[in-house]
Amino acid sequence: MFPMRLLLVAFAALQLVLMPALAQAARLFTDAAGRSVEIPDRVERVLAAGPPASVLLYVVSPEKMVGWVRSPSDAEKQFLAEPYRDLPETGRLTGRGNTANIEMVLSMKPDIIIDVGTIDPTYASLADRVQEQTGIPYVLIDGAFLRTPETLREVAGLLGVEARGEELASYAERTMAWQKETVADIAPEDRPKVYYGRGPDGLETGSAGSINMEILDVVGAHNVAALAGSGGLSNVSIEQVLGWNPDVILTLSPEFQKSVKTDPTWANLKAVKDGRVYRAPTLPFGWFDSPPGVNRLMSVTWLTEILYPGKAEFDMGERTREFYRLFYQVELTQEQIDQLLADSAIK
Amino acid sequence: MAVMMSAQDLAFGYGGKAIGQGVNISVNSGEVMCLMGPNGCGKTTLFRTLLGLLPPLGGRLEMLGRPVQAYTRAEFARHVAYVPQAGSSYFPFTVLNVVMMARASRIGTFATPSAHDRTLSFAALDRLGLAHLAERSFNEISGGERQMTLIARALVQEAELIVMDEPTASLDFGNQARVLDCINELRGSGLSIVLSTHDPGHAFACADRAVLMKQGHVVADGLPNEAVTPESLHGLYGVEVAVEFMQGAGRSICAPALGRFRQE
Amino acid sequence: MSKSGALPEAGSRAGRSLFPVLLPPLLLAVVVILALSAGKYDVSLSDMARVVWSRLTGTPSGLDATIETVVWNVRLPRVLAGLLVGASLAAAGCVYQGLFRNPLVSPDILGVSAGASLGAVGGIFLSLPVLAIQGMAFAGGLAAVALVYAIGSMVRGRDPVLVLVLAGVAVGALVGACISLLKVLADPYNQLPAITFWLLGSLASITRADAASILPAMLLGLVPMVLLRWRMNLMTLDEEEARALGIETGRLRLILVSAATLMTAAAVSVSGIIGWVGLVMPHIARSLVGPDFGRLLPASLMLGGGYMVGVDALARTIAGIEVPLGILTAVIGAPFFLWLLVSGRRGWQ
Repeated sequence: MFPMRLLLVAFAALQLVLMPALAQAARLFTDAAGRSVEIPDRVERVLAAGPPASVLLYVVSPEKMVGWVRSPSDAEKQFLAEPYRDLPETGRLTGRGNTANIEMVLSMKPDIIIDVGTIDPTYASLADRVQEQTGIPYVLIDGAFLRTPETLREVAGLLGVEARGEELASYAERTMAWQKETVADIAPEDRPKVYYGRGPDGLETGSAGSINMEILDVVGAHNVAALAGSGGLSNVSIEQVLGWNPDVILTLSPEFQKSVKTDPTWANLKAVKDGRVYRAPTLPFGWFDSPPGVNRLMSVTWLTEILYPGKAEFDMGERTREFYRLFYQVELTQEQIDQLLADSAIK
Repeated sequence: MAVMMSAQDLAFGYGGKAIGQGVNISVNSGEVMCLMGPNGCGKTTLFRTLLGLLPPLGGRLEMLGRPVQAYTRAEFARHVAYVPQAGSSYFPFTVLNVVMMARASRIGTFATPSAHDRTLSFAALDRLGLAHLAERSFNEISGGERQMTLIARALVQEAELIVMDEPTASLDFGNQARVLDCINELRGSGLSIVLSTHDPGHAFACADRAVLMKQGHVVADGLPNEAVTPESLHGLYGVEVAVEFMQGAGRSICAPALGRFRQE
Repeated sequence: MSKSGALPEAGSRAGRSLFPVLLPPLLLAVVVILALSAGKYDVSLSDMARVVWSRLTGTPSGLDATIETVVWNVRLPRVLAGLLVGASLAAAGCVYQGLFRNPLVSPDILGVSAGASLGAVGGIFLSLPVLAIQGMAFAGGLAAVALVYAIGSMVRGRDPVLVLVLAGVAVGALVGACISLLKVLADPYNQLPAITFWLLGSLASITRADAASILPAMLLGLVPMVLLRWRMNLMTLDEEEARALGIETGRLRLILVSAATLMTAAAVSVSGIIGWVGLVMPHIARSLVGPDFGRLLPASLMLGGGYMVGVDALARTIAGIEVPLGILTAVIGAPFFLWLLVSGRRGWQ
C-alpha cells in the first residue's frame, strides 16, 4: 500500500510538472486556407516563400528573416535597413515559380515558412506537399489589401512580436480610415478615372479584380480598364485608352512617362494635357503593385494626394518619412525623399 | 500439279477505282511464273492484291481453295512470302536478324526466335552462299547481296509460294545474273515462284510460264517461247523486238531493234 | 557453290563484346549513388547510406533529423522519380523511333507533351490542387494522342505512319495555341510563374507519393513493350513488307503507341516537359547495343533513367537556385547530339 500511494503522488507530481512543458512545445495555427498547422511555440527563423511574404516578414520582424526571395538591388538596398538588406537570396518556393533549392532551404533551418498571396486549392495542396517533404510548417496568409491590419496582427502573433504588430496595424487602420473619410463626400461620378499603363509602351494594364488594381478600388478611384474584362493583366490598344480618356495615368516605366508627353497619339488625353501622369515609386518595394504586399499601404497616402489634390492638407514628404521609419526602419534623407517623389508628385 | 493460287475474273485497284479487270490466272505448285508488262500496266497493284495487301475489287481470288481475304495475316504468311525490291533498312540490323524476321508467322506473338529459328535462318543464308555475311549490317552489303538476303528470308518463312517484285531492278549486270541463278536454283525444289520483271528475257532465263499484262488485262499466258514473241512484245511495248536463241547463253534473248521505232 | 560456315554463337557477335551490355547498369548504379549523396545540404556518403539502411530496416540512424529529411524525403523521391521519368521517356523514344522508322523522332511527335501541357496549364489556371493538375496532365496527354490516332484512322489509302505524323503536327500546333491563350489570361503573379516553371520541367517538389503514383501507368506501358520486343523490330520495316511477313501492323502499332503514350504521359504529369531524353538516349543506346529492340529497350531504360538522375542532381547543385530540368537536358543533350552528327558517329551505325 505504501509504495502504491507514493507512486500515485509521484505520478501526479510528474503530471503537474510535465503538462505545462508539453503545452509549450507546439501550438496549432489555422492558416488562411483552413489548414491546421503545428507551429513551434518559439519561432526564431522564418523563410518567406514569395516576394509579398518577404515584405511582410521584413516589416513585422526582420530579425527573424533567414533571407530574401530575391536579393535587393543596390538601389533598393539604399532604402532598406542594415544588416537585413544583405541577407542571402533563397529563391521562390514551390508553386510561385519554384526557384528555391529545397536543400538550401533545409540548411537554413527555418522554424516556419510563410507564404502570402491569393489562397486557392493549388497553393493549399502545394503547401501541404512542401510541408510533407521538408517537415517544416508552411503557413498560408491571405494577401488581400483590405485585410492588411489583421494580417499584420496575425503574423505578429505568430512570430511572438505582438507589440510591433499592433503598432503597424494601428498605423494601417488610421491611414485607411483617414483616406476613406477624406474622400467620403465625393460622389461616385466625380471619382477620378485612372489608367494604369505598364511596360515601355504603356499598353499593358490590369483589369478589374486583378491583384495589382486592388489599391485603386480601396482609394475609391475608377479603373478605366475594368471595362476591358476581369482577370489579370492584359494588353489594350491606344484607341481603347483614348476612348476611356482617363483623368490620371499611372505608370511604372520612366521611359513611358517621358514619351507620353511628346507622343502625339497620347497628347490629346485629358491626363496628359493636365500633366497628371505619375510614376509609382518602387524603392525599396513598389508603392502601387509590385510586389502585391503590405508595401502598397504607402500608396493609400500617395494616391490621396495625386488623385484628390487639395482634398486634404498634409505633407507628402513627411508622410513618406514617417512610413519608411515605422515600416522599413530607415531614416530617409531629404535627397532620398526627393528621389522617391521626383516623378510622382504634384508639380 | 496442285493449284496454289487462282484468280478468276479478278478486278483490282485501290480507292474503289479498278485499274485492272478480268484477270484469270492460276499459279501452280512447283512452277515459276514470270509477269511482265510496261510501266503502269498494273503489275505492282496486282501483286499487292495477290498478297492480300489490297482487297480485290471484283471476281475471286483464292489460295489453296480459300479466299485470300479470309486468311489472317499470319496464316497467309505461312503460305505466301513476299520479296520486295531490296532497299536499305532504316536501322542497321544484321543480315541474320533480317532473315530471322521471317519467323514472325511461325512463332508465338510474345515469343522471341529460338535456336531452331536461328539455325534455319543460317541454313537459308548458307544455301544461297551468303553465310559469310550473317553478322554484317544489312546496309553495308551490296544490292545483289541484299536482294538475295530477302530471298533467303522468304525461304525461312517456309512458304510454298514466293512472290518477287522486280527482283533484278536497280541491280548491276553481274548481280542480276546472280539473282537469276538463285531463282533457278530454287526452281524444281517444289516452291512456286511468281516474279515480275521489266526484262522479257527473264522469262527465258528462269520461268516455266510467262504472263503478259497491258493496261490491267492479261494479254498472253503460256510457255515462254509461246507467249513471248516479237509480236506479243511489240503489242506490249510498242517497239520492235528480236527474240533469238543465243548459243553462248544457252537460251533465247530479247533485244529491241533500235531505229525502227514505230508508234502504236 | 555454297560456302558453309559455322553458325555464330549468340552473345559473341563480331565487334560486340559483353562490355557495352554491362555498361548501362553499372553507370546507372554509380549515378544513383552519386545523386543521393549530392546536394546543397552537406551529407556524407556514409551518412546517406546509414539513413537509407535505417529507413529500410526500421532502426534509428542516430543522425540529425534534417539529414534524414534531406536524404529520405527530398533526394530519394527525386532520384526514384528521375529514374522512372527518364526510363519512361527513353523507352517511349525507342518505340517511336522504331515505329516511325526515323532515329530523329522524339516521344512528343504525336502530341503527348503538348496535350499534357494543356492539361496541366488548365489545371493551374483553374487553381486546382496539385494531384488534380497531375491528373489533368496525364489525361491531356492521352487525349491528344487519341485524337491524333482517331484522325489518322479516318484517312485511308495513305501511309499510316506519315498520316499520324502530320496529324500530330497539326494537333500539336492547335494545342500550343490554346496553351498560349491560357498563358495570356493567367494571373501574372500567381499562375504564370507556375505555368512557366511547369513547362520547363522540374522534379523539385517530387514526393514519394508522386513517384508511386506514376508507377502503375509506367508498368502498364512497359509490359506490352517487353512482350512485343521482337515484333517491334519488324515494325521498322515498310508497312507492306511487315504485313506480308504476317504482322497485323495496325493492331501492333496501336498497342505500342498506347504503351509509349502511357509511359510518357505518366512521366510528364509529374515532371513537366523534359525534352531530349526521349530523343538522344535511344540513339546512344542503339550505338552501344544495336537496333534489336530486345537489347535496345533495357539499355534505353537504364541510360534514360541514369541521365535523368544525373541531370536532376546537377539541377539542384550547380546554382543557388533550381535550374529547370528541361533547360539542362537541352543544354547538355543538344551539343552532344550535334557532336554525334558532326563526328560522323551516327547513332544508328
